[in-house]
Amino acid sequence: MTSSLPKFGSALVAIVALASFSPAQEKSGETIYRQMCAKCHGAKGEGAKQYPQPLIGDKSLAQLAHVIDLTMPDGSPDMLNAAESKRVAEYVYDAFYSPNAQAKLNPPRVELSRLTVKQYRNSIADVIGSLRFPPKLDDKQGLRGEYFNARNLQPNKRQIDRTDAEVRFDFGKEAPKADIEPKEKFDPNTFCIRWDGSVWAPETGVYEFVVKTDHALRLWVNDNRKAVIDAWVKSGDGTEFKTNIFLLAGRAYPIKLEFSKAKQGVDDSKKNPNPPVKPAFISLNWKRPGRALEPVASRFLTPQKFPEVAVIEAPFPPDDRSFGWERGTTVSKEWEAATTEGALETAAYIVAKLQDLTGVQPGATDRVAKYKQFCKTFAERAFRRPLNAAEQSLFIDRQFEAAGDDAQLAVKRVVLIVLKSPRFLYPDANGAPEQYATASKLAFALWDSPPDKELLDAAGANKLGTREEVAKQADRMLSDPRAKAKLRDFLLTWLKLDQAKELPKDAKRFPGFDEALAADLRTSLELFLDDVVWSPTSDFRQMFLGDETYLNGRLAKFYGADLPPDAGFKKVKLEADKRAGVVTHPYVLSSLAYTGETSPIHRGVFVGRGLLGIGIKPPMEAFTPLVPELHPNLTTRERVLLQTKANACASCHTIMNPLGFSLEHFDAVGRYREKEKDKPVDASGGYDTRAGTTVKFTGAKELAKFLASSDETHYAFAQQAFHYFVKQPVRAYGLAKPEELRKTFADNGLSMRKLIVEIATTGALAKTEAKPPAK
Amino acid sequence: MPLTRNRREFVRDLGISAAAMPFLLNLPGLAFANQAKRKQRIVFVFSPNGVVPKDFWPDEEGTNFKLKQILSPLEPFKKQVLTLHGVCDRIRGDGDGHMRGIGCLLTGIELYPGNVQGGSDTPAGWAKGISVDQEIKNHLQKDAATKTRFGSLEMGVMVPDRADTWTRWSYAGANKPITPIDDPYQMFNKLYGRVKDREALASVLDDIKDDLKKVGNNVGAADKKLLEEHAAFVRDMEKELKEQKNAVVGHAVPKMEPGIRKDNDNMPKISKAQIDLLVNSFHADFARVASYQITNSVGGARMKWLDINEGHHELSHEPDTNEKAQEKLVKINKWYCEQVAYLAKRLAETPEPGGSGSLLDNTLIVWTNELGKGNSHTMDNIPFVMVGGGLDFKMGRSLKYPKVAHNRLLMSLAHGFGHNVKTFGNPNHCAAGALTGLV
Repeated sequence: MTSSLPKFGSALVAIVALASFSPAQEKSGETIYRQMCAKCHGAKGEGAKQYPQPLIGDKSLAQLAHVIDLTMPDGSPDMLNAAESKRVAEYVYDAFYSPNAQAKLNPPRVELSRLTVKQYRNSIADVIGSLRFPPKLDDKQGLRGEYFNARNLQPNKRQIDRTDAEVRFDFGKEAPKADIEPKEKFDPNTFCIRWDGSVWAPETGVYEFVVKTDHALRLWVNDNRKAVIDAWVKSGDGTEFKTNIFLLAGRAYPIKLEFSKAKQGVDDSKKNPNPPVKPAFISLNWKRPGRALEPVASRFLTPQKFPEVAVIEAPFPPDDRSFGWERGTTVSKEWEAATTEGALETAAYIVAKLQDLTGVQPGATDRVAKYKQFCKTFAERAFRRPLNAAEQSLFIDRQFEAAGDDAQLAVKRVVLIVLKSPRFLYPDANGAPEQYATASKLAFALWDSPPDKELLDAAGANKLGTREEVAKQADRMLSDPRAKAKLRDFLLTWLKLDQAKELPKDAKRFPGFDEALAADLRTSLELFLDDVVWSPTSDFRQMFLGDETYLNGRLAKFYGADLPPDAGFKKVKLEADKRAGVVTHPYVLSSLAYTGETSPIHRGVFVGRGLLGIGIKPPMEAFTPLVPELHPNLTTRERVLLQTKANACASCHTIMNPLGFSLEHFDAVGRYREKEKDKPVDASGGYDTRAGTTVKFTGAKELAKFLASSDETHYAFAQQAFHYFVKQPVRAYGLAKPEELRKTFADNGLSMRKLIVEIATTGALAKTEAKPPAK
Repeated sequence: MPLTRNRREFVRDLGISAAAMPFLLNLPGLAFANQAKRKQRIVFVFSPNGVVPKDFWPDEEGTNFKLKQILSPLEPFKKQVLTLHGVCDRIRGDGDGHMRGIGCLLTGIELYPGNVQGGSDTPAGWAKGISVDQEIKNHLQKDAATKTRFGSLEMGVMVPDRADTWTRWSYAGANKPITPIDDPYQMFNKLYGRVKDREALASVLDDIKDDLKKVGNNVGAADKKLLEEHAAFVRDMEKELKEQKNAVVGHAVPKMEPGIRKDNDNMPKISKAQIDLLVNSFHADFARVASYQITNSVGGARMKWLDINEGHHELSHEPDTNEKAQEKLVKINKWYCEQVAYLAKRLAETPEPGGSGSLLDNTLIVWTNELGKGNSHTMDNIPFVMVGGGLDFKMGRSLKYPKVAHNRLLMSLAHGFGHNVKTFGNPNHCAAGALTGLV
């Protein structure tokens, strides 16, 4: 892993070799490989009939030498002594085994990429969004609530105007209560409320909005004209009203909820002036993608009114994720057709909202000129740079000429041709001047979306040429909600928890662990991740060392903390002497467990592969875990050892098992336990580092301490972050780049935010050669 | 997000590859050429506030009858007219007469209790069941042989922009009123937006191909391959667009008079435009069922083009003794009848594609109203006037029934499509079965 290691290793070998053998007897590593290894492993480690797997991996040289010494040649490891094993290891390592050797053999390059699906949708939303005027972001939460003492929302009847943290009210038979005595006394039979503001979407996906009320309501989300739920006519006894809406992460959407406790239509109040009062309640709830139903919490609400967002729903085939991150390096017929649908959907959207977007009245005499200007701005935002004269003529003027006197058709044609153009679809091939290209790469790295006006202006003003200038912009852009959403997505991906999934648990053993609790746990983890990454130091080590857990009333009851039952999320010291950061977070531990039992193997793979970045291969064949009931006297640890003791399993399981065992104090729902099956839990474990040392630890806290300070964890995190944000192989930016990133990360006090700025800046400044020289 | 859903609706089937197949199959001469069964269609036409019975109902019974003043525009189609006197809306319960009148007209079932207050009756909500047009549509859409692109079209003329019990008559199910489209341009987009989109797309494809080439010259050989692959897909699409160019609609896209605003005085223009679109849709087999709602229950159209300045609803409350008002009401109802007659005329002029006769020979128009008579608010003798040969009813007659529940007529309409429901709406009014004497 470190560049100093191989040199040091070979020097050591040389000394040992001189001491033990005469130089004449010494065979080179390459010779040994050819004579003793190539038959099974192939001349270049590509594998052969008997052992087809190529010799590629990420063990350090020391680890590799150790394995060879212990096991090779297969069946007669005594044929090679330690020094010879080391020499052959050196050869193998540098010739083809190590990632850098592979990179030399098949040089990774920055591949031309189209927009990923996420980038496509975000681009449409933000290109159109850039033509609207959002308010300046503040940190207010909740919704504006206006209460009217009337059966309609008559401005002169407004009695209360305040901010409500959430919409969750049970009025009973009373009128709404005000902090300040209202001018008029509320009629408990007849009042209306309007909640207004915006709602933040924390992730991309389909949200189900559910309003519960026993009276009339209307709900608008991301469309100020047409209600998504219109139950202003109260009809029948239904009290739950739902609708599904697709939303993109990191954006705020206008939301308005109107409630009416009154009769609509003809006024008959004189006929029956004192009717018996009926009860009334209302709440605004949602199901986030893959989550349970819950009230929309105040941290997702703001009384600020944001403009509508153009969310394109045209279905796209999913992007290639075979490298572990989404890439746009392939095209297909389905994808091409989807871009057509997307373009048509966008064109229809823009034409339908043309007046809002351009401010031009349909009959205005300067209509065509203004539409043209609008189209030019649209094209420039979509191409992320100014148009040159030829482009202005093709993309704008020609379309207006062709459409004749139908100005709307002209707009439609411009939208279609711009969104179908490779200049929109392939950000790095659109012939942009250098600083605009930098701006584009930077914005896609941090937001998966095109540059904003400020960034484009910087490029236009020649202020995006130096590393400092780019880094400064990156730093600014990182505090944008879109970057925050992407960073959270990355952290969840790093923890292999990017897909919210169900956590079914044995109801008999874990009563109270249900869908709602699992959703709370995920929220708790997300709050923790946000907390660490947005703390002043953004210290990566706190991911492992943080000893506080976010709990609400429900979680506190289940995990044994002291909070009122209806408490919202708060940071609590939950078993602080036993827990530490993400590895003991109950959501992580519950995810890495079966319904009733823990799974040290899954936990070990998570720590090894995910956190330490070891390339553990999947098992040779699928195994079913031994059934606990058949081994009633064995602890989970004993059962796992029994199942994986075979030689074929040992090479990987001797790495994974001890990592996973150190978490055995936490059961299948992440609760602390001293004993399993009346035996004290053995949470001892260990790890052989790539540097060649062996670390021993007992229990989660010691594991966490090791992970927090390990170079390997830092290296793996930095490399994964690079791939996630830049979407290109890191070694395409230099074979030393992964190690450089680790070092910069460490030198910056392991600040995650600084690391992301470094990564985005590196990706943005890399020059993609227009035409690389032919090989 | 309904706006998005609409956008999606008409881009979804943009004639690309397999998506266009259902429409190709709808073409005359392809799927239906070897099909023995004729196409059957039905249109429900609504006009509000009751009629003037003495100038509406024929005095005679049977085949030998005279059309009175209100129905006189139907004279050219008299042989295909069937009037049904004595059909009564027996649905009671929550809601005022106008609300129940429109809400129970096609559903045959009560309204839910709710918060819409009408006059002095108890407040109510939406109808408790599906309307018969939607029932028939669902029946036709279930069978591949009768399935069409839209199934049904819900059209309107000057329907107020508010959703309440007075403004909806078609229901997809209990508590599921359907909003009629009363903007002919919106309707045009629904019907032909896709064709227009395809034209716009085709017209920019050459430029896109050029652009791909130019951009391809800016990148290295390895990356160029990706763009070449992309360009091949664009060429494929172009080819498919060309092949489908004229195949999808089956007739020329109609030209619309531009700029007709939703305005009381434009009602005749809107009505004509909507009827033209409706006839085109039937011709293209976009749908076999339609509803056509002129204003709403309690509708207050002011027919200045007939020199009537008062609103219709206001006039409809005038007593029989106010002769001037009654004269105006006759004129208003005659105007509604002219819309039915124009629809019948357009259908009669249009030959049945791939079949025999005209569209009118295979379409039944059912013109009805929420009340029997405006000033009494009676729900007895609800106007039911039918035109055309869509169902195998014996036309050219004036029938008089002894106060039968309208649920039985709704059943007959379903039966006319081979959908033999045992009851429709509130079963208490269905015991006597479908209406006899129609066939």
